[in-house]
Amino acid sequence: MAIFMIGLFMVLLQTTFLHLFPVVPDLVLIVCVYWGLHQPTAGAVLGAFVLGYSLDVVSSPILGLNAFAMSIVFFAVYLSSRSIWLHSAVASSFVVLLAALVKGAALVLAWAIFLTTEQFWSGAARYIIMEALIAAVIAPLIFALLRRGQSYFENARRPAQ
Amino acid sequence: MFVFLRKYQVPVSSCLCVFLSIYILTAAARGQLKSDPVGPALLWILRPFQLMSHAATGWIKDVQESRLTLRAYKADNERLRQKILELERERNRLLEAEATNRRLQQLLEFRSQAATGGITASIIAASASAWFKSCLLDKGSADGVRKGMAVVTPLGALGRVIEVAPHTAKVLLITDPNSGLDVFVQRTRARGIVSGSLEDGPIMKYVKHSEDVQVGDRLVTSGLDGVFPKGMLVATVTSVRKQTVGLFQQISVMPAITFDRTEQVLVVGAEQVPARK
Repeated sequence: MAIFMIGLFMVLLQTTFLHLFPVVPDLVLIVCVYWGLHQPTAGAVLGAFVLGYSLDVVSSPILGLNAFAMSIVFFAVYLSSRSIWLHSAVASSFVVLLAALVKGAALVLAWAIFLTTEQFWSGAARYIIMEALIAAVIAPLIFALLRRGQSYFENARRPAQ
Repeated sequence: MFVFLRKYQVPVSSCLCVFLSIYILTAAARGQLKSDPVGPALLWILRPFQLMSHAATGWIKDVQESRLTLRAYKADNERLRQKILELERERNRLLEAEATNRRLQQLLEFRSQAATGGITASIIAASASAWFKSCLLDKGSADGVRKGMAVVTPLGALGRVIEVAPHTAKVLLITDPNSGLDVFVQRTRARGIVSGSLEDGPIMKYVKHSEDVQVGDRLVTSGLDGVFPKGMLVATVTSVRKQTVGLFQQISVMPAITFDRTEQVLVVGAEQVPARK
């Protein structure tokens, strides 16, 4: 629940404060990747879906777009987490970069099916690459914060001995 | 069944979420999504935080914009200051050009009045000592300047050429103590010699007590020295003292020309100089 609240906080950040910057980093994506790697549970799947849906509710032109993309991303990361072992910042950056590209591909797919693609492709490619790079750059920091938050909540939940 | 679901909870729930999102997407795209209970609830939860964030973001934006505006004002200020300096320099240059143009125009008019013209020259150096009043011209014997020629301006007599080099000429000013210029008082025709002095500045010498000379009288060349023509303005009387001893009056004069401010002159022979009254 606490992690989910952090995810909602990321949605809030992403839709308000981070608009002060020229490019908004995709914090929700990084949270979903973190869940996919470190908390692969049905609850985390639902969390990723709800965070994506929250983004849709707040800012998407059509409901379900980000929910679809985040669900795909979570599943892809979950599948890859079984074959990779993350223990460095570079590796986490790389996984986030790939996840961002998967998310971009999912968005493009959904967009192409349900929305207009007029004057779409070059802009989409630019945004996908830019967002993927930024997400990869800040991923180690967000991962470290999430890890620290997770261990804090686990310690708080553990009964005093 | 339960064991299967437990074992594959993530893939199964992921697939369910993907299908659910596709369903929502399809329904939303077709306009069939009539009621969405989750969206309004989420918006209701997020709204207060969004309002706070919006206020904070607005404040940050304001601060940022103020900083940018200030920076822009500062840059504008610096640019305008630079522009003012440039314009001031340009204005000075134009004023100087205009003044030079005016002087040369006067000189040209003056020269056109002479019988055979004259040699236009510029003063390139002044006397290095207060003891002597002289100047150096940028024209010399190669340009036709000869020793003894008169140096004049449209405003009056300046001096006489005392030394000539091929490309320069030295002029003894009428305010030099060693200079002497035969003059008339224009009003009464009383004669005298205008010369410099180390004590009282330029003076008019050898004017008898009986002659009528008053402050403000204009002194003009007599033409008797064979260098300057008759009737050219030389100076104005500034003070007259008649002493009981001695034959002559003590007369101080002020030259018609301010030597420090003279830049272009005309070098002429006596027969070439047009008289100015």
